[in-house]
Amino acid sequence: MKQQTILRIVAKLLIPYILLFALYVQFHGDFGPGGGFQAGVIFAAGLILYGLIFGLSAAREVAPPALMETLTALGVLIYAGTGVLAMFNGGHFLDYSYLGGHGGGHAEHHGILPQGQHLGILLVEFGVGLTVAAVMISIFFAFAGRERVQ
Amino acid sequence: MHDAAIHAIVILLLGLLLGTAIVIVRMRELWAAVMLTGIYSFLGASWMLLLDAPDVAFTEAAVGAGISTFLMLSTLALTNRRAKPQPGLSPVPLVVVILTGATLIYGTFDMPHYGDPDAPAHRHMAPEFLADEVKHIQDAEHPEGKPVKVDVGNIITSVLASYRGYDTLGETVVIFTAGIGVLLLLRGEPREDPSEDASEEPSEDAP
Amino acid sequence: MDLLFDFLSVICLIGGCCFALIGGIGILRLPDFFSRLHGGGITDTLGAGLIMLGLMLQSIKVGLTHEMSASPWLVTVKLLMILLFLFVTSPTGCHALARAALSDGLEPATVDDEEQPTP
Repeated sequence: MKQQTILRIVAKLLIPYILLFALYVQFHGDFGPGGGFQAGVIFAAGLILYGLIFGLSAAREVAPPALMETLTALGVLIYAGTGVLAMFNGGHFLDYSYLGGHGGGHAEHHGILPQGQHLGILLVEFGVGLTVAAVMISIFFAFAGRERVQ
Repeated sequence: MHDAAIHAIVILLLGLLLGTAIVIVRMRELWAAVMLTGIYSFLGASWMLLLDAPDVAFTEAAVGAGISTFLMLSTLALTNRRAKPQPGLSPVPLVVVILTGATLIYGTFDMPHYGDPDAPAHRHMAPEFLADEVKHIQDAEHPEGKPVKVDVGNIITSVLASYRGYDTLGETVVIFTAGIGVLLLLRGEPREDPSEDASEEPSEDAP
Repeated sequence: MDLLFDFLSVICLIGGCCFALIGGIGILRLPDFFSRLHGGGITDTLGAGLIMLGLMLQSIKVGLTHEMSASPWLVTVKLLMILLFLFVTSPTGCHALARAALSDGLEPATVDDEEQPTP
């Protein structure tokens, strides 16, 4: 009873599927309900479950708090960077049609990589998901290790 | 018959939302109040599904019923479990709240009805977004169907990330700022690192 | 064929709702934390399980009779996955609650506690 066997086994079963579902929601947001915000929260929930069951030090090894803080800023940087990249290619800020370098018109699909608007939306949602997940995990680490006030 | 069933479900759900809100306000036992806020978020997500908004319902269920309940519980583990009793009914805040609430409700009389097709929100930008996004519209210049401007399956994502990309950038920056704020507040204590204080050199401002 | 599936799924749905109601009454009326936990467990597994089974029968009915695209079968598989996820997580949740209560010092009420006041 002291070893939390059932909880550890069930957590080991479930956490990969939770993270996989978070990635599914992230990249499927273009075609169904989903997107960056939901995916970030679900990803953070998977890591928080890991931290609750296997201990805070194990969770700190998997997701170092310094790295999480860097990732929060990196997500916003990816989002704004996509806008600035569109500006470098000659369009307005956050005008995704200019991301492929063609500018303006609706270019046909040139290969397997997404182009134009689709690429812009994917990058932007990825930035959002990254920031949301990293913020939730950072807040969890900030709250979890503290002592009781009274 | 179909309409009556949907009306019954809507009224039941709104009644449950109202009941939960009243119980949350009156409850003194804080663990139970946090659990009830989780239930409130879940009922809110069901309500949004009834309004045909699955993206918003998804976000409300994940954030409100999931992470938010967990964060409030982890905060509650650090403090008391019961709220202190309120000092009693004071008349001035009650009057202020009633006046403000009545003014706001009076202001909503000017708003269009829910789902009114003549409302300004449904006439200005929404038809243009839909006209640009719905595929296979044929007109004189494009016999095989007009190409879609943002060729992404989900129209909500296209509005969120492409047509209204600035707003989503603002939201992301808000989440980032909230995270930084929490970290600043909770890490604000001085570090108990004795080596840091001992190695601090005296200032060299001798004349 | 339609009627058979409708009949079965209505039975499953009503059964699921009845079990959920029984679980809710159990949570309200049972005397002790651990017995209330048992009531909650019934609601989660059997109630939700029967409701999911009823919904799966509905989507199987649509898939068999209407011959649309593959999406009714996809809905069935997704409902099955949700059902399996519920079967794994809700007993684990009850187990975690019981562990937390025991490690906090809460003792289950036994029959011996009740026999003392009687002369």
